[in-house]
Amino acid sequence: MSMMHASQRTTESLNTMPPTAHLMRWVIVATVPGLAAMTFYFGLGVISNVLLAALFALGAEALVLKLRQRPLQPALRDSSAVLTGVLLGASLPPASPWWLLGIGVIAAIVVAKQLYGGLGQNPFNPAMVGYALLLVSFPTYMTLWSPPQPLISENLWVQISGTLPTSTLDALSGATPLDAFKHKGETVLASEFWASQPLPEGTLNAWRNVALAWLAGGLLLIAKRIISWHIPVAMLVSITVLATLFYASDPSHFASPLFHLTTGAAMFGAFFIATDPVSAATSRRGKLFFGAGIGALVMIIRTFGGYPDAVAFAVLLMNLCVPLLDLYTVPRPTGQPKAQQHAKHGDSP
Amino acid sequence: MPAYEFPGGITPPERKDRSNQSPLRNATLPTQVTLPLKQHSGNPAIPCVAINDTVQVGSLIAQRDGMVSANLHASISGTVTQISDNAITIDADGLDRWQVLPSLNWRAEDHQTTIARLDSCGLVGLGGAGFPAYIKAQIADHHRIDTLVVNAAECEPYITADDLALRHYPTEILEGAQMVARLCGAHQIVVGIEDNKPEAIHALKEALSHFQQSDCQHPVSITMKVIETRYPSGGERQLIKKLLNLDVPSGGLPADVGVLCHNPGTLLAALYAVRDGKPLVERIVTLTGDAISTPGNYWVRLGTSIETLLQQVGLANQQLHQVIVGGPMMGLPLTTLDVPVTKTTNCLIAATREELPPAPSESPCIRCGACESVCPVQLLPQQLHWYARAENDATLEKFHLFDCIECGACSYVCPSYIPLVQDYRSAKQRIRVKRIESAKAEHAKHRFEFRQARLARENAEKQARRQARQAQSRQTSDSSKATDSTVQVVDLRSLRIAQTAAKAAVRKAEKTLARAAAEDPSQRHDDLETQLATAQENLKAADTRLAEARATMAQQESP
Repeated sequence: MSMMHASQRTTESLNTMPPTAHLMRWVIVATVPGLAAMTFYFGLGVISNVLLAALFALGAEALVLKLRQRPLQPALRDSSAVLTGVLLGASLPPASPWWLLGIGVIAAIVVAKQLYGGLGQNPFNPAMVGYALLLVSFPTYMTLWSPPQPLISENLWVQISGTLPTSTLDALSGATPLDAFKHKGETVLASEFWASQPLPEGTLNAWRNVALAWLAGGLLLIAKRIISWHIPVAMLVSITVLATLFYASDPSHFASPLFHLTTGAAMFGAFFIATDPVSAATSRRGKLFFGAGIGALVMIIRTFGGYPDAVAFAVLLMNLCVPLLDLYTVPRPTGQPKAQQHAKHGDSP
Repeated sequence: MPAYEFPGGITPPERKDRSNQSPLRNATLPTQVTLPLKQHSGNPAIPCVAINDTVQVGSLIAQRDGMVSANLHASISGTVTQISDNAITIDADGLDRWQVLPSLNWRAEDHQTTIARLDSCGLVGLGGAGFPAYIKAQIADHHRIDTLVVNAAECEPYITADDLALRHYPTEILEGAQMVARLCGAHQIVVGIEDNKPEAIHALKEALSHFQQSDCQHPVSITMKVIETRYPSGGERQLIKKLLNLDVPSGGLPADVGVLCHNPGTLLAALYAVRDGKPLVERIVTLTGDAISTPGNYWVRLGTSIETLLQQVGLANQQLHQVIVGGPMMGLPLTTLDVPVTKTTNCLIAATREELPPAPSESPCIRCGACESVCPVQLLPQQLHWYARAENDATLEKFHLFDCIECGACSYVCPSYIPLVQDYRSAKQRIRVKRIESAKAEHAKHRFEFRQARLARENAEKQARRQARQAQSRQTSDSSKATDSTVQVVDLRSLRIAQTAAKAAVRKAEKTLARAAAEDPSQRHDDLETQLATAQENLKAADTRLAEARATMAQQESP
């Protein structure tokens, strides 16, 4: 039994791991660049989304803990619920109706996390469970990404009123670049599609800069050793490789690898969603498979599936594979024979 | 030689300067010692003194029982006042009279004599597990040893006992290493030492340069290898990897890759036992921690009460939070101070609350993988944690629970403050108990076999005595009967074969037991001890029968 603990060190070192609550808080801090960029391009609706979702998440967590008769303090202090809220809020269209956020949070915190036993016990990524539920249940609201707009816009009212005013539907509705490209039609060549100026001005630019901001936050997490590089790198490499293959096979129908990396939730998902340690594969080799699997599924669903983006489904599907991955990627301990031998019996008589 | 790497590891605060700043001192002689009968791995020793017996320092007071066990000697001169089931108490007469064995010259003496001396002096490994040294010295019987590794890494924080021993007795320790190398047939000695002990490294270098001039005295080449300070580089397997780039196989021993590991303190004690005939009655103990005023390293007589010892060095009771035996990573906190110093007590930390605070309450595992990245054996502590809590023993073994060296690096970094090692220890214990349960029938069978063997041996001896009597009477009456000599010859041959087989069986049983005990020094190996005893009985019976047959033959030929 170790009477010493890394957190009691007086001098900081690379080896030190902060307590769990600090890990969560660091992830929240690392979302700041991404959220700032999104706010800059899509308005204050992003911030209000995040704040509202975080608030709901805290409330839902407290409620369930109360019902489960568990102590509130330690669980609320670890910031894991707030983090789930922030991530869910960041993935929904800016200024989503309050009830949409509420339902998403309940699915995430109550169903995906607490019903499975709380922190550390959930097999699925809570934020993505919430997101997936909303996506299949309320597709109208979930696909309405406004085009880039000033900080304060009238659609903030939508969040409060909770309904979509039919008169302004056109002004509100915008498609994400992925969405637009997906629905360009079979007969339209990619070059014709881009030539037709399908998106409001600056949209692609906005998405690219947002992706770069998420990347910056992700790199911060890796630098602080909050997450390991394995999952994001595997996922992004797998997206790049598959996108390159598709693109190389038929550039007139498939989007470029750069397009796939810089639009949608690829960057955000790679660094902030797929890296949730609880629901991800755990060994280093397992993480590589896990990340690569998510990347592959994202590309497959984006290209051949019914949804323009697919990070949520890809993550959830790979969550399903985690027990299998964990079983088959057990590293060989020092001194064990090179050939993988499962079910070793009587190795120490 | 390049340094190789073992995976993982941590760099906890060392806190060694608290105890390594002052020279080695002698602790005050205790007025009373309590010597536990089990200060080593294996079976407790059996007392061989009675109450009110007068003993001197070094008098044998308890004998080893079975193979994996060790003799015990009085550590002060005085009177035996109490013999309980698990300890012998001696009251000092204050004279400190010694009784030492004759000095041996290990360079000239044959191996058996030297090994027997290590055995009779009750020498055990002083690093931690307390494995009987004479068994380790016999390793050459069944393994080829190339390298003797002197484990001077002393990687745990606080502990400086080996550091101080190396500073004060570098020549003796290296001579001890030469002696052990000679016994095990190693042709090189590698001293592994962490770079946080510059004084000890300097002392060793000095001693080594001195040796180079008188090479014939030290036939085995010694190299010193200074390694980077990283816990747990002093783990046997980690050190062997680091020094020699060899992987000790899982479930195996360093001997399987031709290596024998010894702690400097053990080598020093081994030399004292052989050269000076001094049984193991004292050892160097690091007394440290913020709750004592004069920390440092002390020669302490075995059996000294920890409480009196700490009071001698200025224990501040009101500041004391806990006393830890061993290092802060792998040691155990004491529940009472009324316990004696034993052969394996290398360090006592009297810690204040501030220096080693109790761990905050644990929070759930989020599988962050910090433990995985520091595990020196490349296990998946996060998965083991899960299955240990679920008591899923089959899966635990699949995830190589028994490869865990319990170094505590995972607990050290765990952001959720989960006492991982504690979980693994209890899981291991649970699985071991299960194994013993399932082997119970087997054990009963072995005990029965032992009884049969003992009866057969007694019969053989009886027969031999009768034969001898008959022969005597025959000689006196001089009426020799005609016996069939051809039958006797055939008989003699088969008896000789039986004796050889019995010898081989004893050797095999010894080897099995030595292996099992070295792999798992904390456990008792009753079943294997019984099997060894059976084999020994069989050998005795075979010896007796053969001797008897030979005597008969001789008789037949002589008339």
